[in-house]
Amino acid sequence: MMKTFKALAAIAAMIVMAACSSQQEAAGPATTTVTPGSIADFRQNVGDRVFFDTDQSTIREDGRQTLARQAEWLKKYGQYKITVEGHCDERGTREYNFALGERRANAARQYLIAQGIPAARINTVSFGKENPDPPGSDEAAWARNRRAVTALQ
Amino acid sequence: MAAFAQKLSAAMKIFRSSLLAIALVLPTAAGAQRADPVYLEDRFNQLQQSITMLTGQIEQLQYRNQQLQQQLEKMQADYEYRLDQMEKGRGGAGGPRPAGGAAGGGAQAAAPPPPPPAPPAAGGSADQMYHDAMKKLQDGDNAGAERGFKAFLQSNPKHTLAGNAQYWLGESYYARKDYQNAMTAFAEGYKNYKTSPKGPDNLLKLGITLAVMGRKADACQIFSKFSQDYPRAPDLQKRRVDQERQKNGCG
Amino acid sequence: MMLPRRSTILGGAALAAGAAAVPARAQLTIDMTRPSFEPVPIAIVDFAGDRVGADIANVVRNDLQNSGLFRSIPPSSFIQRDVNASTPPRFPDWRQIGAAGVVVGEVGQAGGNIKVDFRLWDVVVGQQAAGLSFTSQPANWRRLAHIIADAIYKRVTGEEGYFDTRIAYVGESGPGNARVKRIAIMDQDGANNRYITDGRTIAVTPRFSPTLQEIVYMAFGEDRSSPPRVYLQNVDSGRRELMGNFPGMSFAPRFSPDGTKVVMSIAAEGRTNIYEMDVRGRALRRLTNSSAIDTSPCFSNDGAQIVFNSDRGGTQQLYVMSAGGGGERRISFGEGRYATPVWSPRGDWIAFTKISGSSFGIGVMRPDGGGERMLASGFLVEGPTWAPNGRVLAYFRQQPSSAGRTGAVTLHQVDITGRFERQIPTPTDASDPAWSPLIPQ
Repeated sequence: MMKTFKALAAIAAMIVMAACSSQQEAAGPATTTVTPGSIADFRQNVGDRVFFDTDQSTIREDGRQTLARQAEWLKKYGQYKITVEGHCDERGTREYNFALGERRANAARQYLIAQGIPAARINTVSFGKENPDPPGSDEAAWARNRRAVTALQ
Repeated sequence: MAAFAQKLSAAMKIFRSSLLAIALVLPTAAGAQRADPVYLEDRFNQLQQSITMLTGQIEQLQYRNQQLQQQLEKMQADYEYRLDQMEKGRGGAGGPRPAGGAAGGGAQAAAPPPPPPAPPAAGGSADQMYHDAMKKLQDGDNAGAERGFKAFLQSNPKHTLAGNAQYWLGESYYARKDYQNAMTAFAEGYKNYKTSPKGPDNLLKLGITLAVMGRKADACQIFSKFSQDYPRAPDLQKRRVDQERQKNGCG
Repeated sequence: MMLPRRSTILGGAALAAGAAAVPARAQLTIDMTRPSFEPVPIAIVDFAGDRVGADIANVVRNDLQNSGLFRSIPPSSFIQRDVNASTPPRFPDWRQIGAAGVVVGEVGQAGGNIKVDFRLWDVVVGQQAAGLSFTSQPANWRRLAHIIADAIYKRVTGEEGYFDTRIAYVGESGPGNARVKRIAIMDQDGANNRYITDGRTIAVTPRFSPTLQEIVYMAFGEDRSSPPRVYLQNVDSGRRELMGNFPGMSFAPRFSPDGTKVVMSIAAEGRTNIYEMDVRGRALRRLTNSSAIDTSPCFSNDGAQIVFNSDRGGTQQLYVMSAGGGGERRISFGEGRYATPVWSPRGDWIAFTKISGSSFGIGVMRPDGGGERMLASGFLVEGPTWAPNGRVLAYFRQQPSSAGRTGAVTLHQVDITGRFERQIPTPTDASDPAWSPLIPQ
């Protein structure tokens, strides 16, 4: 029971945090001009990545919003093939993290499919903990590393 | 026993609360009427998580149950051992003899003539060896217990506790799933210490071990010997034999 | 390559049976399983007859010293300087410097080969304890030295040696976000290091075949969007083959003890299951069927069972099943997450990585899950691998990264009591050690 409450509390906290961070982004550098429909446009104005809790592969509320935006954009620009890359922080064993990264990539992929992107358009790949971005051994770096990145080709 | 019941009810509580948790996690009936893909995806993931959580809890409960069962068996063994000691009037700390020699009659109904003429010196050393080995078994050090009981049997093959030692030697293998050695130990126990208080246990456990090894026909044959050899065995044991016979489809 | 061959046994059987009767400060035997012991003081004299003799003695000294069970007495303190390979040493001279054993040897020529004789003298009882003679190509002198060290180790500890072995590992270099990871192989003591992959793509988790001729590992594709796969590579020829081409990524490969099969994980659609592949025919068979993550499979020493980790119950735990699949049962129930189980070559222990709270540890437990104990811990320690004698483990250790600097990644060894731990030197940062079986002689 306690666990469930804690989880709910955590989700609530995340929603609040997500709201804060999106405000910050909105207030950020909107000055650079990018061609609509370009990869740069996708990265800057849509957001190419979603983040996960430790050892989890559930899409969080902030991630849902990002993925919904991604799906809208991808429907509009149908020329791109999509690879969802799953990543983990360094606080796990190498082999397990390959599997966990795959599970995260798949969770994001399923969400895009559910939003109407054809399954055949989306590929997944896992990097486990081999490709940290940013590298680092603190909670801030780890939180950024537990991610699924939607890469366009 | 009370402790066991308490632990079991605690375990059941956890189980119930987890069911409640699932009820909370699962979407409401109203929500279920929506059938958009995102909703279905979420629902699928939630179910998956529930299954995972349940799997983990079942594993934990099984493990705890197994531990409690072992603990219970060991407690029983310890209790029997102490009883034996008291009946023989040589309890470690010189405990009082039970009043009236007949007191042991019930427990040793099947136990015939007193042990052979020259039992090894009843000195503390043999008893201590047995006790140490039993302690190891209780602590889960099965390999240590195996060594202890073997050493005890080697130097005290005619000791009144030899039948017990032989039985617990078998248990030390059985606990490690070393069924081959367990089978040999129980079989030897039955053969060599047929009239020991542990004789029926050796036979019963021999049958169970054979069944676990997939040798059902042999197991059934062993179970059928039970009522023949130990007509006055406690009801509990008789019932256990009947259960095993049924479980293994013995004719 | 011509391997060293044992040609004669001079007197390995002449055991110092009376050792127990002679009281002495140090004895030429050691029981590794005792809770505490002093390393055995041993004097290794430069082998006579050839310039390589001193090099051989050096390798033997290093091997024995690095095991933690021996203390190599510095040659500068030797009293007897005219010791000869074929006559007994002056025992009082060696007792005086506290040696329990003296190793002497001689290098001779035999055709184009070198012939090396060595003897181990038990100083305590004043008798020969072991003696062997080997012939080999001159280039193999290091292997000869390791084989001699193994013979001494075995004579003194009663356990098989592990010095004539290799270690495969992942050599790491470059910054954290563009790390180069390539498979390297070196002798157990760090000599003869070489790389068998070129580093253009990340390659990790190397594992030896029982003959040491092949290595299986996982490598990424050239194209970032293609999934990583398991490869089988011949060590000498460098020829590499993809182990099966199926959708999804494959990883965590490991050979069966007889070398005929490779078990690995295949991940697809968010599930990771364990598969077995026939090395020759490449037939693929699924061994687990869960909707969770089942990975890091490893055969038992007799090939009858497989231990692996799974998060089917919510967190990573260890499970054992029969080698053909089925009969899965959980064996780990302690606090924390358990990963990377590796069955000892002797069958008596399973080593694992354990994550509890913010710390990582290397531990061992019995195959039934009992007797758990931890041997090493740190910010990040991972990936145990057994030396072939089942008494020593290697693993890797990573330091935290800070201020853009990648933390050092290093290989370490520890004995099964957890008493003696040391770093294994490598030319670059190193992870994922895989200890080979003894090199076939």
